[in-house]
Amino acid sequence: MNESVLNLGAAPGERVAAVPVVRNPKLDQWICYWSIPFFYVLFGLIFVLLARIMPPQSPTSSAADIVAYMQSPTLRWGIALLALTLGLASMASGIIVVQMQRMKGLSAALPYSYLAALAVAGVPGCLFPCFVFALGGLRPEYSPEIQVMLYDLGFLSFVGSLGVFTIQYLVFAIAIFLDERQIFPKWLGYLTIWALVTEIVAVPVWVTRTGPFAWDGLLSFWLGTAIFVGWEFLMCVCLYRAIKNQPIEELEHHGG
Amino acid sequence: MAADSGVVPTGRAGRVPGEGSMWFFVLGDFWIFSCYFACYVHDRAQSPESYLAGQQLLSQGTGVLNTIILLTSSLFVALGVQAARASDIDVARRFVTLGGACGILFMLIKAWEWSTKIIAGFPAGTEDFFLYYFMFTGLHVLHVCLGLLILVLVWRELRKDRPRPMFVETGGTYWHMVDALWIAIFALLYLVR
Repeated sequence: MNESVLNLGAAPGERVAAVPVVRNPKLDQWICYWSIPFFYVLFGLIFVLLARIMPPQSPTSSAADIVAYMQSPTLRWGIALLALTLGLASMASGIIVVQMQRMKGLSAALPYSYLAALAVAGVPGCLFPCFVFALGGLRPEYSPEIQVMLYDLGFLSFVGSLGVFTIQYLVFAIAIFLDERQIFPKWLGYLTIWALVTEIVAVPVWVTRTGPFAWDGLLSFWLGTAIFVGWEFLMCVCLYRAIKNQPIEELEHHGG
Repeated sequence: MAADSGVVPTGRAGRVPGEGSMWFFVLGDFWIFSCYFACYVHDRAQSPESYLAGQQLLSQGTGVLNTIILLTSSLFVALGVQAARASDIDVARRFVTLGGACGILFMLIKAWEWSTKIIAGFPAGTEDFFLYYFMFTGLHVLHVCLGLLILVLVWRELRKDRPRPMFVETGGTYWHMVDALWIAIFALLYLVR
């Protein structure tokens, strides 16, 4: 790319001699960026097709149905695949935080909060429920009562881990509104507030097992998921533009 | 949105007041709340008696009082926007302060209403109605909190030498949305028989 030639031309002479390879100076960012669609395709495959965690099984299923679900053969394979690949999510956090740090008029406090919130969120929102389901699947001799408990624990943790995600959304929205450079458009900040609100609507999953506020409910799960999918997609579009529009001079002090 | 285009004269014909991104938020918010309302109406139709029993425990008088307070606050904010457009900054700031004060009053009354409901408890069969009641009014109060924060930002903008009328309009647009949402929630939870 001519961008990289420009970049190398501007670098100190001895460094050009030492690194004669002409490469895309944003290559690292693009690798992280393209991990996002890759991860979400994998995520969809695991959660929807293999483990069938999404859409969630019903909180009012009978014990026999729950045992049958826990013993479904694809559940364990799906979770094994997830255990192997969940770390990919950290690449998405990395690239988002790098772009947040380009914002003008704010310190690194919000990007760090974003990173910390997501680092914590992956445990109750993904890893823990998977361990619990895998545990139930691996040992069919557990009594049905224990299987039911593991099932409830898994889904409550998966749908009910709210607070860290609300803070992730909140710091991201605040950063967008404070940013004087408009790295991300303002409407993405408003969209992020909706994503935050949908997490709040899921609070009753801890209180009720039936109706639209249950963990498989129309409001707590379906509307929230629809908005999350929209948010993730538009986030990717905005992130793509942010990386693309990043001036090459900004990268030089990173050694290009 | 009807509240906004109705109360605030735009001056020039064909201009939308406030920033476009705020209108994206307002329209989207109305869309999301429509989903919530549709869900409520659907569930209510399944067992009208139990919802009616819950509804009768709400005080319509409190609901009406809160509606009047929010409508008044919207009027204050609209007058504030008008004053800001006319570069009458001191007056604008005073109206925005009054609008915010009404918002705080609204939240205090809501908190009192919630506490009486929680202390009294819910008779068997009305849990579904009260779950909706607390979720809808809770989400709305969250919008009021955000609105108060925005009014504080507007107030600070109005202390500058040359405040941007656009910024004041954007804040006003949000505040009118909070008002319009409340009217829908009030009608659904308190009035629909």
